[in-house]
Amino acid sequence: MSDESNPHEFGEADFRSTVHSFEFWFEAVEGYLHGRPYGVSAATKEAELTERQRQALITTLCNYCVGETAALDASSGMIGFAPDRHAKIFLATQVVDEGRHLEVLLHRMAQLGVAAPEAEIEKRANRSLLKFKDRLLEFVDARDWEASIFAQNVILECLEFTVFRHHAGTADPVTAEMLRGIVSDERRHMGFGENDLGRRLIAAPHTHDRLYKIKRELDTLVLDTFSEALGELGVPHAERPDLEGDYLAAVARLGFRS
Amino acid sequence: MNDPLETARRAPERRPRQSFELEETGFNEVPKRFRKFYRRWRGPKDKLAPNEALCPVCKVVIRSTKELRAGDRVYCMPCMSRLELVEENGVLLAKVIY
Repeated sequence: MSDESNPHEFGEADFRSTVHSFEFWFEAVEGYLHGRPYGVSAATKEAELTERQRQALITTLCNYCVGETAALDASSGMIGFAPDRHAKIFLATQVVDEGRHLEVLLHRMAQLGVAAPEAEIEKRANRSLLKFKDRLLEFVDARDWEASIFAQNVILECLEFTVFRHHAGTADPVTAEMLRGIVSDERRHMGFGENDLGRRLIAAPHTHDRLYKIKRELDTLVLDTFSEALGELGVPHAERPDLEGDYLAAVARLGFRS
Repeated sequence: MNDPLETARRAPERRPRQSFELEETGFNEVPKRFRKFYRRWRGPKDKLAPNEALCPVCKVVIRSTKELRAGDRVYCMPCMSRLELVEENGVLLAKVIY
């Protein structure tokens, strides 16, 4: 007899309909967000930051806001041309996640004394990341599912997953807890993208060449953004997390050579 | 006459699989009823048990009530991936099946 609480005994269709649902999403996020207003529990105390650390953190948060706004705009637009109901429902949960990320990041900036976040973002945003955002939104405007899911859920999410995970390990306690909650969401977004695209590439292998061109175009922007983000965090080159390990491994699993 | 190398190669298949009682380890990124099937990865020095595999997509440790062997299929709920266990150079690895 199968055990309904053992996920490894699920059939593939049951597994997908379970995880691509608001029911699953509610119960998952409850685990790590309940009792944590703006992603942080009341028991977590502020650490004192020097002015230099505060300014560096504000710049980093401005860039995170650009990435999260790109994902919010893109994932909400993609619902309209998602290929099936499961994808539409999943993207609806992603839109909520991205909106929450933007909200907690803006809240953290307010805690750091930023009175006009839009102006700060405009002033401090990484140019490569802004170009990436524009390109992603062009794919969405063109209703190009493969390019949109690749740029957003594989490339952008992989970048965010790696940077946020690393930053959570070195940040002040409040920022770290907020970032850990975001990373938990990013696992779903990244996994959805890789799995959806993986299935699609098997069904339509000719898509591969087109996406490979997109990958080559976006690689520079992604790697520049990554390098700048870690520079802002003051991470020495020798201690930088292995984006190439995460990102290139993900694209290699999808069959893209580097 | 039995070839000892052949016998050694076949031995794991004949040996009954170990069973494991799973308990929650604090992993909180999936609905409560599924939480004991996953745990956080503690980095490259983290030693996986015979009933565990590392998800290559999201770096969460997947746990099973039975010892895992090559050919087994498991699911990573935190990133919604379907995985198959494969043996490479004597090491059991989880690979994504799309």
